Amino acid sequence: MDRRTFLKLAGMGSLTFASACTLESEKKLYSLVKNQDDMVSGKANWYAGTCRRCPAGCGVLAKNREGRVIKLEGNPLHPVNRGKLCIRGQSGLQAVYHPERPKKPRIKQDGRWQALSFEEAIVRLAEKTRSAAARGKNRVRMLTCLEGDVCMGLFEKSMAALNGTAPLVFEPFSHEHLRTANQAVFGVSGLPSYRLENADCLVSFGADFLETWLSPVEYARRFKAMHAYADGKKGRFFYVSPWRGLTGANADAWLSCRPAAEAVICLGLIRQVLARKGSSGISTQVARQIRAVCQPYTREKVIEFSGVDPSGYDQMAEALLRAKDPLILGAGTLGRGRGDLQANIAANLLNFVLDPQLGKIDFTRRHRAEKAAGYGEIAAFFDQLAGNPPDVLLLNNVNPVYALPPEMDTSGILGSKQMFTVCFSNFMDETAQRADMVFPVSMALESWDEYGAYPDLLSFCQPAMKPLYGAPQIGDVLLRIAPDGTFENKDAKQELISRVQERWGISDTGAWLQAVRAGGRFEHAEASAGASGPAVTTAFQSWFEDPSELIRSESLLFAALPSVRFFDGRDAHIPWLCEIPDPVSKVAWQSPVLMHPETARKYGVRTGDGINLINRSGAVSAPVYETRYIQPGLAGIQAGQGHAVPGKYSGGRGANPFSLFSLKRPADAKTAFYAADPLRLEKSGQRQKLASTAGSMDPHGRKIALTMTLSDLAAPPGPEKHGLAMHDFPLTLPMPEGYDAHRDFYPPHDHADYRWAMVVDLDRCIGCSACAAACYAENNLAVVGEQEIINGREMSWMHIEHYQQMDRPDQPIFLPMLCQHCDNAPCESVCPVFAPHHNKEGLNNQIYNRCIGTRFCAQNCPYKVRRFNWHDWNWPEPLNLQLNPDVTVRSKGVMEKCSFCVQRIKTAHGHAKDENRKIKDGEVIPACVQTCPTGALVFGSLMDADSRVSKLVKDRRAYQVMGYLNTKPAVIYLKKVVHEIR
Amino acid sequence: MEKLSFAEIDNTVNATLEPPGRMYWTVVALLFCGVLVGAACWGWQILVGIGAGGQNSPVNWGTYLINFVFWVGIAHSGTLISAILYLLRAGWRNPIARAAETMTVFAVCTAGLFPFIHLGRVWMVYYMLPVPNQRTLWPNFQSPLMFDVVAISTYLIVSVLFWYTGMLPDFAVIRDRAAGVRKKIFTVLSLGWTGRYEQWRHYSRGYLLFAALATPLVISVHSVVSWDFALGVAPGWHTTIFAPYFVAGAIHSGLAMVLTLMIPMRRIFNAQRIITMHVLESVAKTIVFTGLIVGFAYATEYFIAWYSRNSVEMEVFAFRSTGDFALQYWIMVICNSLVPLLFFIKRIRTSILWLFAISIAVNIGMWFERFVIIISSVARDFLPHAWGDYAPTGIEYGIMLGSFCLFFFLFFLFVKHLPSISMTEIKELQHQAGTHD
Repeated sequence: MDRRTFLKLAGMGSLTFASACTLESEKKLYSLVKNQDDMVSGKANWYAGTCRRCPAGCGVLAKNREGRVIKLEGNPLHPVNRGKLCIRGQSGLQAVYHPERPKKPRIKQDGRWQALSFEEAIVRLAEKTRSAAARGKNRVRMLTCLEGDVCMGLFEKSMAALNGTAPLVFEPFSHEHLRTANQAVFGVSGLPSYRLENADCLVSFGADFLETWLSPVEYARRFKAMHAYADGKKGRFFYVSPWRGLTGANADAWLSCRPAAEAVICLGLIRQVLARKGSSGISTQVARQIRAVCQPYTREKVIEFSGVDPSGYDQMAEALLRAKDPLILGAGTLGRGRGDLQANIAANLLNFVLDPQLGKIDFTRRHRAEKAAGYGEIAAFFDQLAGNPPDVLLLNNVNPVYALPPEMDTSGILGSKQMFTVCFSNFMDETAQRADMVFPVSMALESWDEYGAYPDLLSFCQPAMKPLYGAPQIGDVLLRIAPDGTFENKDAKQELISRVQERWGISDTGAWLQAVRAGGRFEHAEASAGASGPAVTTAFQSWFEDPSELIRSESLLFAALPSVRFFDGRDAHIPWLCEIPDPVSKVAWQSPVLMHPETARKYGVRTGDGINLINRSGAVSAPVYETRYIQPGLAGIQAGQGHAVPGKYSGGRGANPFSLFSLKRPADAKTAFYAADPLRLEKSGQRQKLASTAGSMDPHGRKIALTMTLSDLAAPPGPEKHGLAMHDFPLTLPMPEGYDAHRDFYPPHDHADYRWAMVVDLDRCIGCSACAAACYAENNLAVVGEQEIINGREMSWMHIEHYQQMDRPDQPIFLPMLCQHCDNAPCESVCPVFAPHHNKEGLNNQIYNRCIGTRFCAQNCPYKVRRFNWHDWNWPEPLNLQLNPDVTVRSKGVMEKCSFCVQRIKTAHGHAKDENRKIKDGEVIPACVQTCPTGALVFGSLMDADSRVSKLVKDRRAYQVMGYLNTKPAVIYLKKVVHEIR
Repeated sequence: MEKLSFAEIDNTVNATLEPPGRMYWTVVALLFCGVLVGAACWGWQILVGIGAGGQNSPVNWGTYLINFVFWVGIAHSGTLISAILYLLRAGWRNPIARAAETMTVFAVCTAGLFPFIHLGRVWMVYYMLPVPNQRTLWPNFQSPLMFDVVAISTYLIVSVLFWYTGMLPDFAVIRDRAAGVRKKIFTVLSLGWTGRYEQWRHYSRGYLLFAALATPLVISVHSVVSWDFALGVAPGWHTTIFAPYFVAGAIHSGLAMVLTLMIPMRRIFNAQRIITMHVLESVAKTIVFTGLIVGFAYATEYFIAWYSRNSVEMEVFAFRSTGDFALQYWIMVICNSLVPLLFFIKRIRTSILWLFAISIAVNIGMWFERFVIIISSVARDFLPHAWGDYAPTGIEYGIMLGSFCLFFFLFFLFVKHLPSISMTEIKELQHQAGTHD
């Protein structure tokens, strides 16, 4: 080769090499040339609305950035949730941007789906409905989820015009037993409000008011009003149930009992109350009947039949008798059997004998969920569909195929060729799969609507963004498919305006705008105090029967358990909800069979063993999870998962407990109910690793999640002895005054104007994990999936850690664990490139661009809050539209962790600078603090002596997790206050 | 040592440089394939992220750092033999000093790769270089990882220079006997060595100087490596015994590796008369000594954990010997501190088979020592809720295979192309023994 050829080849070669290796394709940022009036790039607009993920109907504020909603927060004005949201509410956004959300209507032809345009679908549907209506009465039927009054009115009007009966409201969690019990005892077939905040002793016979019962965010707040330590007092809460879920985990004592034995315990308590307090205030006739019902339930009998722990029972009875304001709640949402109905009736009676005025039960503020049809009505509806199929069946956002017992054959009925089934749904769930047409409609964040959970509560839904795929809202569809001339208004929004005008008297534009801006009209919503309880009927007697069969059962019983994450299964496809573990079991992505270790031993299985549970109705297979929080002899699966549909997130994941239930319609009974027949357990021979995020729930005697008894708090503080060991190391604030030349190697940090810190009140934390979901939404946290969670690679910046209490290992305690923003941070000194950086305001910043991924910081972090990007995580489109543009999306190979929502701090700095002032206390609210339903988290600056955090750190309960490592954390915990054991 | 004439020594050593046979090239090719497997695994890991390995939260460090410490440890006894024993005038080190020093150089090279493999963003590794730049970023010299960068690079430079200096007179011998291209290469390599008195004087001064420079490095480099752990707060790491414990461990593993390499080498090259049983026996005796030190360190760790009454510390050590990694722990204890005690028996320490088997056992034991230290402490550290587990993945095993192949690949190339036994030093030995005639 000569010199020239060499040079040519070398030149060509290097050029080819250079041009072939381009970086990722270029991404351009365009700014809008012509902005919309209300849109400023980089500035968020907030729209008030209503969360429609469950019937609670919390008020939300939707944060819209550049035309897309990127975050939901509670509406502080809204009376139901007062600015807070639960884990599901926070995650509702991912339903809008779900990658499997159908973009267009589809129709089934010869067993295959064909896409249609929205217009075409409406025309086709209108043809069907109108011709069906012409054929006679009831040829068009409708099953809907619970909707607001205006929407329901519209449905009713359309259905009437189509010659049909009013639509039936189907909610899997219909609280029917509570309603029936109220009918039986108080003669009111409805769901009252319970004033938990006024009680000083609360007993729940399974009511899971922190998970799914009625209105979880509202009741979490009301519960903490009575159960948080204040003024030297703290109410008592007993939980009586065969299972201890999130609500039970917050109880001062959990009384485990045999399934369906709650009523027995409750009747025993009634007997004791009547014996001790007499029946003053109760009419003699009623008193006689109550006595007759509870007479057989002596203490011994109660203990024999229910299997409850005698000393626990005595303690509860004693506490209840001493209490000034006791309140009893009945069975949980998922209580579907006869025993749960009895428990509800007995709970009503106990409330009545304790307080004949029923001062803490508000029958004027009744919950909208009472409008849902009963089990019997639903069964009758499907019987009619099977016997005499209508021509068109409209299904609005319901999934009966999943939620109803398999023996009802909803799947076969809906799949029938004789009727044209239309599913208005935004997810191809089991029901949608069987429909003839799937019509995706706009969701609550994309449409005009109204939903008030209580009478007189006007709570709007308004389009916080353009419908993602341009879908019309269901009101508009029904308006179009009804015969012409049915409605005088041209669309659903007009319909809403005129109804609101009629009912709430909002007549002028100004009032309307004001109401829409606020999210509704809230003045009347809570003005119902002083209403006295209704008269007590005597229809309850016939419900109780001989309890001796409770102890006869030797076979394995089954219970469906409420889940704070999946509700009735409608949220099982939402990535964040799959990814954030259940707060009690700490298992993500899966729904294992919860089983007492004794039961597991009896059947020769252990945690992780695959088993099949089989009964007359069906079979499920799932891995075993041994826990002491369930009664021996009972197997339980949390409801929500186990969807038999294709799909990345919900498809084939977990097990559906509803498939083990069957419908019971006793000939003599006035109500139908569901029950699971006893189970047969088979080992499947496979083992499955549980996607658990908890290493150990035993604190191993370490200074992590601490408690303090009420009497310790009542006693005057003694002289404190400080040392350098784990349990006597003094509270050392992350401030210059926390510097001690004897202990510290590095000089103290000086801070400019602010030293950000957080106070976490363990006494208020209920473990609901809403904070974790808020963090996922705000900070663009990645969803890593089941396998990576098993590998130990979850990315959550906020962990709700579940520990046993140190002094009472049978009692759980929740500890929110996030970056402690230590003043003496072990992560900072070990990074070779200064990626963890201590800023002037005390924040421990993580500079992603600087990080090279040595992972030394994570190794050295005693709190294990640092999360490494093991891969490039992805957001399947359009989930990426939800990403917060103020927060970097991290790439593989860098470390990340809680930033105290530094973007929010920066925004506050901007505002303060504009107004030439300092940031005010309470102006910076990180996402987790914002959503905490019980106000357990408080954020602020320690440099401000008047800030809430500065005051709270002086509390006697203040301590730092493992402060003895001299890390000087800026997250200061307040010990949980517990009642002493007698 | 029996009598050997200078010519015999030269002949024996030069015989190792005869053109190798097919068998040799097959082995070299296989080793190279192993290196390629490791490279491919690393490439894949760079593509998909560190998640290709088994590390997780809380076990953020896995086999990459285990191998790093392992190879750095191997390197140390090379320097011990070539430098410290030189200064101590231990004559028995002369026949194996060259091979041991070579082992040092290649082991440091192999070890030096692992911090790169370990990094999440290896393409940004230059952020650690203390060069003035427009980003006005400066490395954090508080970080033990920066100590590492300095220590390892210093060690590599000093070892290479020491190694090269020692080979100069031998290169000249080869040059004088070679022809053709080989002669040209060795002419350049021998830097004009003629064996004049002046050259010998400078040479021996220089060699002594490098030996004196390398000696503190044996102690300091592995102390620095141990501070990667000891300066962290994790229980089981945060302890003052780590530096001597690591240095002793390093020499322990390195001596074992010397045996592992020498025993086949002396057989293949028929160098039994140079690398005598006395030499091997002396290495074995030193292994007994270092084995006792590491055994003492294991016991001390438990004593300190118990004596501290620190529940976190006690939990970690209870977990080490009884928990998920108990098997690895007991492999470590048995192979490192119990098995070498067999060398107390003369029959065993003079049996080639026993020597070889025990050297392999110590190598395995020392690998698991690093596994136990690195994995088990963080798997059970302060926060019980974060406790986790660890198992290496195929990618990690691939990279580990690649690293072993790389080391042996380089060593194989070395023994057939450079003088693997120091002719100069053997001659000195003969001279000192007064056997030269």
